[in-house]
Amino acid sequence: MSQPKASPLIYGAVALGAVGVIATYLAAGPQRFWANWVMWFVLIFTMGLGALFIAALEHLVNAKWSVPIRRIPERIATLLLPAIPIGLIALGALPVLYPGTRPEAAHHPILAGKAFWLSIPFFSVRTLIAFALVLVGLTVLVGGSLKQDTTRDPAFNIRARKFAPAFMAIFALVITVVAFDWISGLTPEWYSDIFGVYIFAGAFLSGLAATALSVLYLQGQDRLAGVRGDHLYNLGGFLFAFTVFWSYIGFAQYMLMWYANMPDEVIYYKVRLAGMWRYITIALGAMHFILPFFVLVTRDAKQDPRRLRRVAFLMLAAHVLDIYWLIFPILGGKPLLGWPELSFALFFIGGILLWLRAAMEKGEDMPVGDPFLREGLEFRL
Amino acid sequence: MSAEKAYSVLGLFDTPNALMQAIPKVRAAKAGTVEAYTPYPIHGIDDALGLRRSPLGGMVLVMGVLGALTAFGFEYWISAIDYPIITGGKSPSSWEAFIPIMFEVTVLFATFTAGLGMLLLLNRLPFFGHPVLSSKSIKGITRDRFALAIEAEGEDFDAAAAARILQDAGAVEVEVLPAPDRSPFLTSTYILRTLGGIFVACAVAGFGIYTLTKWFPVLRPMVNMQDQPRLNAQKASTFFKDGRGMQAPVKGTVARGYLPTATGTQDASAALVNPLPRTKEVFAVGRKAYLNRCEVCHGAVGNGVGSLTAAYGAKPANLQSQQFLDYPDGKMYWAIVNGKNAMPSHAADLNESQRWAVIHYVRALQRAQNAKDEDLKVVAP
Repeated sequence: MSQPKASPLIYGAVALGAVGVIATYLAAGPQRFWANWVMWFVLIFTMGLGALFIAALEHLVNAKWSVPIRRIPERIATLLLPAIPIGLIALGALPVLYPGTRPEAAHHPILAGKAFWLSIPFFSVRTLIAFALVLVGLTVLVGGSLKQDTTRDPAFNIRARKFAPAFMAIFALVITVVAFDWISGLTPEWYSDIFGVYIFAGAFLSGLAATALSVLYLQGQDRLAGVRGDHLYNLGGFLFAFTVFWSYIGFAQYMLMWYANMPDEVIYYKVRLAGMWRYITIALGAMHFILPFFVLVTRDAKQDPRRLRRVAFLMLAAHVLDIYWLIFPILGGKPLLGWPELSFALFFIGGILLWLRAAMEKGEDMPVGDPFLREGLEFRL
Repeated sequence: MSAEKAYSVLGLFDTPNALMQAIPKVRAAKAGTVEAYTPYPIHGIDDALGLRRSPLGGMVLVMGVLGALTAFGFEYWISAIDYPIITGGKSPSSWEAFIPIMFEVTVLFATFTAGLGMLLLLNRLPFFGHPVLSSKSIKGITRDRFALAIEAEGEDFDAAAAARILQDAGAVEVEVLPAPDRSPFLTSTYILRTLGGIFVACAVAGFGIYTLTKWFPVLRPMVNMQDQPRLNAQKASTFFKDGRGMQAPVKGTVARGYLPTATGTQDASAALVNPLPRTKEVFAVGRKAYLNRCEVCHGAVGNGVGSLTAAYGAKPANLQSQQFLDYPDGKMYWAIVNGKNAMPSHAADLNESQRWAVIHYVRALQRAQNAKDEDLKVVAP
C-alpha cells in the first residue's frame, strides 16, 4: 500500500498561511487575530469531537453496520490532539475578545453576577477539564480500538460498550464548554438554553461530513474493500437527518427570540440581520439546510459517491460559515473577509489535511480485531 | 394437472438463503410472474425479484411540498388577508410564525401519503380474498417458512411445469393454488357492511356516553373545555388588588392606527390642520356622523335650530353665524373632543377621522348657505 506523498502544494499553503497568521497579529491587530484563532480552534475541536461521538455512538447503540468504517471517525477524532494545544493558545483570546473577563464587567449589571464564572481562571479551568475528559475518551475509544488490531481481544468491545454511556455525559459537558464558554462567552449578556444542542448538531454534522469524505477518499484508493453503497447510504441518511436537526434547533432558537422580542435576546439576531450579515444569514440557511436537504432527499443520492462527496464538502463549508457567523459579528460592523481570514484558512485547512493524511495510516483500515466486523460487512439495506 | 385453473404455484423453502438462491433460477425459467412471500423483510429481495423502484418516495415528496404550500397559503390568507390581527407587534404576514404549522402539515401530508398510499394505492388493501391466504402453508409463511410463487400469466399456464421448476430450484414442498371463484377485490357488500359497522359503532358509542352521563352525572367525559383555569371577562379575581378580573388598559394606551390628535387649550388647538382630504367618501362619513350626533341641536343646515332645541331649552351655537364662519378647524375639533358650554364631549362617540369628517361637512353646510357666484356652474342649456 503505497501512500502517495503529500503534495508540496499543501506544505506551501501551510507555510504561506503561517506567514499570514503572524502578519495578521502584527498588522491587523490582536482582535482579528484572536477571532480567527478561536474560530479555527472551535472548528477543529468540534470536528474531532463529532467524529469521536460517531465512534462512541456505535458502541452505545450496539450498531453493526458501522463497524467496517469505524476506524475512519476514530482517525479523524485524533484531530483532538492538535486541537488541545490550539485551544491552550486560544486562552490568550480571553482578555481580548471576552467581555466577561474585562475589569469593567464587575460594574456591569448583568455581568457582575457572572463575574466568577466568566473570569479567566475559572474559564481556563473548565477548558482544561474539558481537554482532560476528551483525552480520556480518546484513550479508551480510539486507543483501545487501535490496540485491538493486534490483540484481537473482544474484551475491548465490552469495555467500550460500558464506557459509551459515560462518554455521552462527557461529550455533553465538553460540547457545553465549547458552546457556552468559547462561543456564547463572546456575548455574555445574551444566552440561549438550546445553544449547546445547536453546536452539538453542527459538530456532529462536521464529524459526519469528514467521515464520509474520508471513507470516499479511502475507497478511491481501494482500501475499504467490502464497504458498499449500503454503508454510504447510512452515512448519507445521518447527514440528511442532522441537516434537518440543525435547522430545527437553529430555527427554534430564532423563532422563540423573535416572538418574545426581548431586547437582550433579540439583539443577537438584530446584529446578524443587519447590512451584509443579512445575506450571510440567508446563505447559511440555504447552504446548511435547503441545498443539502433537496440534494440528499432521494435514495440514490445517499449512495452515490459523487453526490455524497459534494454534499459532504458543502456541509463542511456550511459548518465553517456557521461558526464564522457566530463569532465574527462581535468585531462589529461589516463581515470581515480579507487576507487574514484567507491566511488562517490556508494554514488550518492545510494543517488539518496533513494531520488527517498521517492519521489515515494509523492502524488497519478496518477494525480487524472487532468480532462484529464480518456482520458489519454483511450489512444490507 | 386437473382442468381446474391455477392462480399460482407455491414452492416452500426453509431458509431465506435458499429462497434467495432459488429466485434467479425460477426467474430465468420465465414461466410466469415470480412473487415471494416471507414472514419478515429480507434484504436485497427487491433487487433479486427485479421489482421496480417504488413510486412512494416521489409521492411523499410531492405531497410533503404540497402540505407545506397548503399550510403557508392557508396561514397567509387568514393572518394577512382575511383577518389581519396584529399580535405581539409582529406584522400579520410574518413568515416566522407560519413555519411550525407548515412543518406539521408537511409531516401530516407526507406520513398520510406514505401510509395510505402504500396500503391502499400500491398494495391495493384491503384485499381479503387473496388465494395465498387459503393455502395450507399460510401459517408457515407467516411464521418461519419462505415461499416463492409462479403466478399464472394467461391461459396456457402449465402448473405442472411450474411445480417442476420450483422443485428443481430447491423447493422442499410445492402447492398449486386454485384460482378463486369470484373476484377477490372489494365488493359492494363488503363496503356497505364496513360502513354500516362503523355507523353502528359510532351510534352505540354516542348514545352510550350520552345515557351514561345522564344517569350518572358524576361521570363527566371531557371537561377540559368547561373547567379552564382562566378568568372570564366580568368575573371577580383575587389576583388583582381591585378584585376585578378584567383590568383597564394602562393609562395612555392608544389603539393601533388611532393615534388621537393632541389637544391642549382651545386656543392652542387653533393651529391644528384637518388631515382628511375633501373627497366624496369623507363628506359621506361626515354627513352621517353629523346627522347622528350634531343635527339634534345644531340643525340639519347648522343654523342652531335642531329638532331638540325647543324641548331642551338651551341655545346651541348657530354654525352659520359669522363667528363660526371664521372659526378655525382646530378650535371646532377641540370643542367636539372636550365639549363646550352645554355641549358634551363627543370623544367617545366619534373617532378621530369621523370628527375631522364632520368638520369638513360643517364647512360644506356653511358654504351652501353662503354660496358665491363662482360656485354656480353654468350647465349647458
